[in-house]
Amino acid sequence: MTETLIALISIVIGIIGANFTGKRFAKFDLGFTGNTLAGVFGSIFLIKSIGRLGFDPVSVMRSGNVDILLLMINFMVSFIGGSAAVVFAKKIRIFMNKRR
Amino acid sequence: MEDMIFYDRLQFAFTITFHYIFPQLTMGLSLIIVYFKWKYLRSKIEKYNDAAKFFMKIFAVNFTMGVVTGIPMEFQFGTNWANFSELTGGIIGQTLAMEGMFSFFLESSFLVLFIFGEKLMGQKLHFLTGFLVFLGSWASGWFILATNAWMQHPVGYEILDNGKYILNNFSAIFANPWLIPAFLHNQMASVVTSSFVVASIGAFYILREKNIEYGKLFLKTGVVFGIISSLLVAFPTGDWNAKNVAKHQPPSFAAMEGIFKTEDAGAEIVLIGQPNMVEKKIDNKIAVPNVLSFLTYQNWNTQIPGMDQFKKEDLPDNIPALYYSYHIMVGLGTIFIALMALSLFFLWRKKLYHIKFLLWTIMFMVPFPYIANLTGWYVAELGRQPYLVYGLLRTSEGISPTVSSGNTLFTLLGFVGLYMLLGLLFLVLVGKTIHQGPKPQTH
Repeated sequence: MTETLIALISIVIGIIGANFTGKRFAKFDLGFTGNTLAGVFGSIFLIKSIGRLGFDPVSVMRSGNVDILLLMINFMVSFIGGSAAVVFAKKIRIFMNKRR
Repeated sequence: MEDMIFYDRLQFAFTITFHYIFPQLTMGLSLIIVYFKWKYLRSKIEKYNDAAKFFMKIFAVNFTMGVVTGIPMEFQFGTNWANFSELTGGIIGQTLAMEGMFSFFLESSFLVLFIFGEKLMGQKLHFLTGFLVFLGSWASGWFILATNAWMQHPVGYEILDNGKYILNNFSAIFANPWLIPAFLHNQMASVVTSSFVVASIGAFYILREKNIEYGKLFLKTGVVFGIISSLLVAFPTGDWNAKNVAKHQPPSFAAMEGIFKTEDAGAEIVLIGQPNMVEKKIDNKIAVPNVLSFLTYQNWNTQIPGMDQFKKEDLPDNIPALYYSYHIMVGLGTIFIALMALSLFFLWRKKLYHIKFLLWTIMFMVPFPYIANLTGWYVAELGRQPYLVYGLLRTSEGISPTVSSGNTLFTLLGFVGLYMLLGLLFLVLVGKTIHQGPKPQTH
């Protein structure tokens, strides 16, 4: 059941990643609310898409104990997912708000 | 074994209670957003468009929290309820997958388009995206309710030699007589929650003397949606649901109504009282004779079987919790009708915006529709006990035999901590959005 907790913590890391990127690179900032929402979906999307390569929550717990290396990879990917989502969301927003 | 079941049920109850705070708002709110957008298209008055966009931001925060808190349940089916998932996966897996594939993607894709795409798409397409978000969120409710309806009243299934359940009639799962009343009741209840949220934000703005024009619009819209939905929750949808329980789950009906002994003729309706499980009676009760028989069968003298007519092992295992949940839900529903009717009266007399006592009451009523919705779900879930699939699979047969109660308790504590963090984040995000208020369109 620890898998479930890991999945939730991973999303929180994604939120942190998104807000970090938004604050660090102001041109991608969507505000606290926007960054947070983008972080959630970015983190889930990336972990669900490529986590099966061996670092999704189930794989982290496969041996019965927490595999620290896989856990770190999971959190890193989640952080990257959150960050990438902010950049992507900002680009979509700019594209959609261009006047035709 | 008892401990394992208790902790598995406690953990699922905690996670699903927290989860259901969010979808109950998004389903109802999407309808109100579509209304605002439709009003804007017809009248071209900007404040309707601003209102639609403002509430879509609140919708987005709730939707996201709903996604996050929904993830643990997906895992829990496998980790805590492995036997149940293995045996019934052939059936409930289909409706749950449809919920993910059709509703979630519909809702999330068009949510992004609604938030970012107004300028690109133009107003009519923008309305269409809002409508598709509404459709996605209600479809999501439909598939989840179809899953639950099958667990409450299994239809269209076949049991294989290995004990697994498979569907032998796909359409039966959506034509389940339990489904439509439960769906309509649930959706109307979520409109009640949303109406109270919209009205309370309106009351807040009026009391703070901030965004007053929007405050009046929100309050008026919330009250009108609130009175219609509060009435529809009670009748016909609530009545229809109760009749379904009386017909398909008579032990649960007796327990939720607090009928310990079968009366010779018509059954009384218990308004207030406490179940005494030792003496098998209701203490300090206020009851109206024969009314329950009339409400259920439209006959004052029809006999309704009490709990004494059923075997102990077929009765719900927590009768007081079921009884109180049901009575809290019904009691709150009655208060909602009274409050919204009073507000509508003063709205009609053009005095509502000036009666501070009523504005404060509406503002502070916001938690109560949530409580009513949750207790309504407790009635459904506690009433189905001691079964996971009514009459077929007992709760004790559905758990994962290898997961210890200590492990479940540990992760439950983890959830409590993480959900407190998420709950705080949610309040900050929604608080910021309400504080900023709707942004008037600039040209």
